[in-house]
Amino acid sequence: MSKIVSAAADFLYPFVMIFGFYIVLHGHLTPGGGFQGGAVIATGVALMFAAHRYRDIAPIFKKAIFNTCETVGLVLFIGLAFAGLFYGKSFMYNWLARIPGLFGEQVSYGVNPGSLDTGGIIPLLNIAVGLEVLGALSLVIYYLLTYVVQMGVNKHHGQ
Amino acid sequence: MDLAIQVLILSGLILTGLLVFYLQDLLHSAIAFAAFSFLMSVEFYILQAPDVAIAEAGIGAGLTTAILIKAVRSTTRREFDR
Amino acid sequence: MRNLLITAILVVLSSTFVYVTTSGQLQFGKPAQTRMDDYFLRHGQEQTGANNIVTAVVFDFRGFDTLGEATVLFVVVLGVGMLFRKLMAEEEEEEQAA
Repeated sequence: MSKIVSAAADFLYPFVMIFGFYIVLHGHLTPGGGFQGGAVIATGVALMFAAHRYRDIAPIFKKAIFNTCETVGLVLFIGLAFAGLFYGKSFMYNWLARIPGLFGEQVSYGVNPGSLDTGGIIPLLNIAVGLEVLGALSLVIYYLLTYVVQMGVNKHHGQ
Repeated sequence: MDLAIQVLILSGLILTGLLVFYLQDLLHSAIAFAAFSFLMSVEFYILQAPDVAIAEAGIGAGLTTAILIKAVRSTTRREFDR
Repeated sequence: MRNLLITAILVVLSSTFVYVTTSGQLQFGKPAQTRMDDYFLRHGQEQTGANNIVTAVVFDFRGFDTLGEATVLFVVVLGVGMLFRKLMAEEEEEEQAA
């Protein structure tokens, strides 16, 4: 892409990332959640992949980072769900809600300003799903944008 | 006023949907699909579903357009004549 | 003949759609069953502590569905990776050789 596109992408990239992480972390207070925030972050990654040349961007966005994000997210989600079995009553029981400590503030029915320290395991599950979606969608983008180009090059050389 | 906006957006949805189907240049078709996703996201927001609107704007207008444009660039750009 | 069949199917489907939406059986924005909605809206905030009721339903009341969705996404990435497994193997061989 041209220099204007890559400069504009460099300028926009941190804002897209911050917006995505905001959506993930405030999933239990404002519209959005893990899936939507992860999709926004993956859009930022796709923007960087589209705006720069492959050999400039490959050392920064490695495949191992996205692989680790996806696996850690899914394992964290299943681990939190199984912890409900041991600390509470059932699978995926909200064992942190309404207990003083991490994310355990009481919330009453009605309109309130909202505090980050509420929600039990919901913020943690949001972070887990956000990590997983960010890793998965970025990995799909990475596969398509790197290997499809190689396939095209091989085809032209073969002919 | 509310009804006018709804009618405007819904007719825009039908128009962009037909454009996706009838345009012969596949790159133009991908851009029309991005416009379709954006109008869909606005419609979800008006119907008071901001969660779905964010997901539609992120995936439909962002990721799908990138993947489709990449697919068009590495295959053929013109749709084959029947 | 084929065009006539397609037109007939389209006319039947669109007339059914118009009849169902305008006959008054389904009112716009008013669900037929409201007991479960009322329960979630009244008790969700106290029971889960989340102000966003959509997240409370998705991650707490219906958390098992979200686990399935996460698994589906994982399998999708596995499938896309399998599509390019030959190129990935070549790349790894080059890295080992270098």
